[in-house]
Amino acid sequence: MNHVASKNLNLTLKIWRQAGPKQPGGLKTYQVRGISTDMSFLEMLDVLNEQLIASGEEPVAFDHDCREGICGTCGVVINGQAHGPDSGTTTCQLHMRRFHDGDTIVIEPWLAKAFPIVRDLIVDRSAFDRIIQAGGFVSVNTGNAPEANTTLVPHHVQQDAMNAAACIGCGACVASCKNASAMLFVSAKVSHLASLPQGQAERSKRVLNMVATMDAEHFGNCTNTGECEAACPAKIKLSNIAQLNREYMKAALLSKE
Amino acid sequence: MTDSTAQCKTGLLGCLGLSWFFRLLSSSIGQKFVMGLTGLLLCGFLVAHLAGNLLLFAGAEPFNHYAHALHSQWELLALAEFGLVVLFLAHVYLAVTTTIGNYRARRDFYVLKQSKVPGRIIGANSWMFASGSVVLGFVILHLIDLRLGLRSSLHYLPEENFEAPFRNTLAALSDPISRVVYFLGAIILGVHLSHGFASAFQSLGLNHPKYTPLIKIIGKIFGVIIAVGFASIVVFVPGMWR
Amino acid sequence: MVTVADTPLDGRCPDGNIASRWDQRKRDLKLVAPNNKRKYTVIVVGTGLAGGSAAASLAELGYNVLSFCIQDSPRRAHSIAAQGGINAAKNYQNDGDSVWRLFYDTVKGGEWRARESNVYRLATLSTSIIDQCVAQGVPFAREYGGTLTNRSFGGAQVSRTFYCGGQTGQQLLLGAYQAMMRQVSGGGIKLFTRREMLDLVVVDGIARGIVTRDLVTGKYETFVSDAVVLCTGGYGNAYYLSTMAKTCNVTAAWRCHKRGAYFANPCFTQIHPTCIPVSGDHQSKLTLMSESLRNDGRVWVPKTKGDTRSPDQIPEDERDYYLERRYPSYGNLAPRDVSSRAAKERCDAGFGVGPSGMSVYLDFSKAIKEDGESVIREKYGNLFHMYERITDENPYKVPMRIYPAVHYTMGGLWVDYNLQSNLPGLYVLGEANFSDHGANRLGASALMQGLADGYFVIPYTVGDHIATRKVKPISADRPEFHEALEAAKSRTAAILNVKGTHSTEHFHRALGKIMWDHVGMARNEKGLLHAIEQIKTLREQFWHDVKVIGSGETLNQNLEHAGRVADFLEFAELLARDALYRDESCGGHFREEHQTEEGECERNDADFSYVSAWEYQGIGTESILHKEPLTFVDAPFGVRSYK
Ligand SMILES: Cc1cc2nc3c(=O)[nH]c(=O)nc-3n(C[C@H](O)[C@H](O)[C@H](O)COP(=O)(O)OP(=O)(O)OC[C@H]3O[C@@H](n4cnc5c(N)ncnc54)[C@H](O)[C@@H]3O)c2cc1C
Ligand code: HEM
Ligand code: SF4
Ligand code: FES
Repeated sequence: MNHVASKNLNLTLKIWRQAGPKQPGGLKTYQVRGISTDMSFLEMLDVLNEQLIASGEEPVAFDHDCREGICGTCGVVINGQAHGPDSGTTTCQLHMRRFHDGDTIVIEPWLAKAFPIVRDLIVDRSAFDRIIQAGGFVSVNTGNAPEANTTLVPHHVQQDAMNAAACIGCGACVASCKNASAMLFVSAKVSHLASLPQGQAERSKRVLNMVATMDAEHFGNCTNTGECEAACPAKIKLSNIAQLNREYMKAALLSKE
Repeated sequence: MTDSTAQCKTGLLGCLGLSWFFRLLSSSIGQKFVMGLTGLLLCGFLVAHLAGNLLLFAGAEPFNHYAHALHSQWELLALAEFGLVVLFLAHVYLAVTTTIGNYRARRDFYVLKQSKVPGRIIGANSWMFASGSVVLGFVILHLIDLRLGLRSSLHYLPEENFEAPFRNTLAALSDPISRVVYFLGAIILGVHLSHGFASAFQSLGLNHPKYTPLIKIIGKIFGVIIAVGFASIVVFVPGMWR
Repeated sequence: MVTVADTPLDGRCPDGNIASRWDQRKRDLKLVAPNNKRKYTVIVVGTGLAGGSAAASLAELGYNVLSFCIQDSPRRAHSIAAQGGINAAKNYQNDGDSVWRLFYDTVKGGEWRARESNVYRLATLSTSIIDQCVAQGVPFAREYGGTLTNRSFGGAQVSRTFYCGGQTGQQLLLGAYQAMMRQVSGGGIKLFTRREMLDLVVVDGIARGIVTRDLVTGKYETFVSDAVVLCTGGYGNAYYLSTMAKTCNVTAAWRCHKRGAYFANPCFTQIHPTCIPVSGDHQSKLTLMSESLRNDGRVWVPKTKGDTRSPDQIPEDERDYYLERRYPSYGNLAPRDVSSRAAKERCDAGFGVGPSGMSVYLDFSKAIKEDGESVIREKYGNLFHMYERITDENPYKVPMRIYPAVHYTMGGLWVDYNLQSNLPGLYVLGEANFSDHGANRLGASALMQGLADGYFVIPYTVGDHIATRKVKPISADRPEFHEALEAAKSRTAAILNVKGTHSTEHFHRALGKIMWDHVGMARNEKGLLHAIEQIKTLREQFWHDVKVIGSGETLNQNLEHAGRVADFLEFAELLARDALYRDESCGGHFREEHQTEEGECERNDADFSYVSAWEYQGIGTESILHKEPLTFVDAPFGVRSYK
């Protein structure tokens, strides 16, 4: 597959503008011209922002940092799809060759009760931190660790753990879910640590506390629609949610916690 | 916490050492679990119910015999009915509360929303509450028609009459309103189950790379069987035994 | 010209046998009693590997930790982007590795411009890092039998790099982040996200607090502490285009510098050989393709100039595998600076490929043929996927195209062996300090350093500061706090008041171009002098012409960016001056005046075997140079050859 020569696009953007958490918001329409198909989606927004600055309008606020698809900072809903049309891709890794000349692109922030809007396309995802804080860790103080090869971890177990641990905490799962459920995010951490020997000591406590916090943070319940899995840039699997359910019920019914 | 007075502050359940149970039932995952469990048990009932009702194709004799045999075990039947009512009410209660909770969690809706699931335009699963509600309507009418016998327009035969089960069923199935509602109910129930069946396994945490694909297919087939099974009764039985 | 301080700077390293120096230092360090620790507050700025591990470990000890970061969550610090791996002298491969060898490779890799004692400690601590991370649940790659596995990285002939697919930094950072969040829930750490540190508060010569701006509300705040631990990462974004995350900045370090902390070796910047080439003027950021790819990928260009055939049309004998040719014993795993220059040399000579001619091939066809696509996919799947998304080319079929890009900065605030800067009470960890990599960092050693600093050095050394200086509680009402707060406010206000005509982005790009052209992979006196003048002019233009829309009382990303660019514009001059003053070639610092006939670095140990630590004297005034002499006993000077 060889690179197709780049082209330039003229686009109509409809972007959610909202000055602050309490202010009313709405879609605003902008035109951008000469967008190279080699640009990333965020570079296209950069172009728009330069244009806005030049015309004296406040640029569109959007979260981003690594622009490599790993930090989980970026994320907007593009034409109704979290992180846009490509599967397994963050907004920053989406490229403009996915669009056509003359397209209209609707850009909205993540919407969920648990993710209040900060400004424009930026939302507050600190609820995720509080869920991790509730138990998404192994309690091992620095200096306490045994020699690394003392406990063997079979290759396939490590692979399962790694696949779950790959979550970048972007929140697309919540954004794309009709119930604004955080199950995929929570299940990724629970599965990661439950599958490793190092995570066993706190296995029950962890899942009980993380789920309790998830509920308290006003995320919705899972109705197994699979939208989260389809939107997840880190390809976290729905099977993790099944594991989360299993872990939770085991802990609730059988553990002493 | 070893201080028992502190525990009692959490209420009666706490004193009984059952606060964990309360926590379980009030958690999202616990509710999902109950939803899945009740749903699957109701599926079990549906299988039995369908099997029995298919005897309508065999004619009055076999069906009446089956019905009377069933009713002769009235203690068991009462227990089963009670169980079914509990399952059903639990399922419906949770359906309502989780749907409201989920709606609140979403809070805002996108101006434009598209699915990212390959090939999905609108999935059955986004309509679980809607389909469930139709089923609920169907079930209520069905109970009014046949369990409670409240529709005088159907001219019920008295229960003592050996022919009653078959005749009364046929009467209900021939009523135009019931026909339409039953037919729709059966189809929508199938839709409900085409997602619900496999989904329940996921909710119960029963997921395995070797079996899950199969369960998904079985779920779809199950939905079709239930829909076609019940709908065929509505469509064909009245004509066969007029 | 440059004023050089009379007394040499002292790194305060222990002496004696190099292998027992850290033990000896730990013996000498004063302790704070366990129940007293909670009376002391430590500010940790930054939540990358260095800051995350430091905050968690200090809170575990019982200190009150205040943790700050720019991102909305500590988990998003730039460390998350590290791909390839982390070194440790475990010798699991039985291939002859040892603490000494890791130490030696690191000193040699850095061209004898790092402190021996520090590097030896780093190599010693490396093994404990792996133990700690495994215990936290970091899913390092494993053999089928369940033991840990390794890969090779540039500049080493042993296999000592531990990795988690292509997401090692992510997994290590999540480990540190989770350890941190555990302390947040226990109350040991107070977390302040979306806060940018804008100044350091020095009271009676001791670092006692910071000034921050809340990036959401625009509010300025001061925080008082008994020690400040700066873990704010590297300054690669001075070049605009780099592999660094967009918020990486020099602001925190620079403002400390302006308060008296010395800035060491700023000219030591690393240009990484394997990055995705620039595709157009819109480019906002460059993407690294991990060095680990060079385990299986072969670097080549056509043997004929300007060959425009597609790579599969170029037969084997018309390809120049120039790294294998020039450095037969290390081949494609030659260190970064060497590989980068070799790529530049080929492209400048007209052999480059791709639309702009500014790239070389990284070819996996041999490895795919030998090991099968699935093996390659398991090792590098996510990198290949990323490459394809960005370039629209499938690297399983067509060779990747790569070109060097700014990637890491060895320079940073000067610290002593205890990682304390010349300002007492200010500690600097991770990429923000200058300590362990000399003139060039070996792959997979930054993660190691950040974690060694945070998990295993700072917990010991901070206590010594608190115990020996007997720091007294103070309040934020002191004039020093007010002064710093006002200074921070007025600087931001000044930026908003310019109301010029050009955007921040414009100035940042312009600075980046000056830096890349004249202070990049190859530098010379004329270019550097030119660059210094250009930077000055650009800085003046910035203060007369920058246009920042919006207010300082709300979330205003443009304003944040402008503040950082303003600091880069001051700092870049120091970087260029350091490059000008260091009249030798070593590691990442290549002065065209000093090269061998084959184009390799010509180091000058007699005149430049020291750390350059610059003392701030005001903008437009030349800084004072403090020299910390470097001596090499256990890894004596040698020729850095990878042939
Ligand atoms: C693409 C890429 C790949 C890499 N791969 C590897 C690898 O495989 N192996 C390896 O060893 N190294 C690798 N490195 C290098 C390594 O990742 C970094 O050197 C290292 O992670 C730096 O960690 P740190 O903790 O010092 O700083 P960072 O991770 O950069 O963290 C800086 C922190 O400081 C905060 N901060 C900065 N300024 C301020 C301020 N003014 N106020 C408040 N907070 C502030 C930030 O919010 C952030 O939390 C790679 C680097 C890049 C760019
Ligand atoms: C015979 C009747 C019914 C059967 C056999 C049945 C079966 C099921 C099953 C198996 C599920 C999947 C459970 C899960 O995902 O965990 C389900 C889900 C659901 N049912 Fe029913 N159901 C019936 C009637 C109803 C009724 C009357 C309602 C009323 C509104 C209803 C509402 C729902 C809803 C909203 C869900 C989705 C819950 C979720 O996905 O979390 N169902 N049902
Ligand atoms: S599970 Fe996927 S979509 Fe959800 S936060 Fe993690 S990476 Fe993002
Ligand atoms: S900006 Fe980091 S994932 Fe997109």
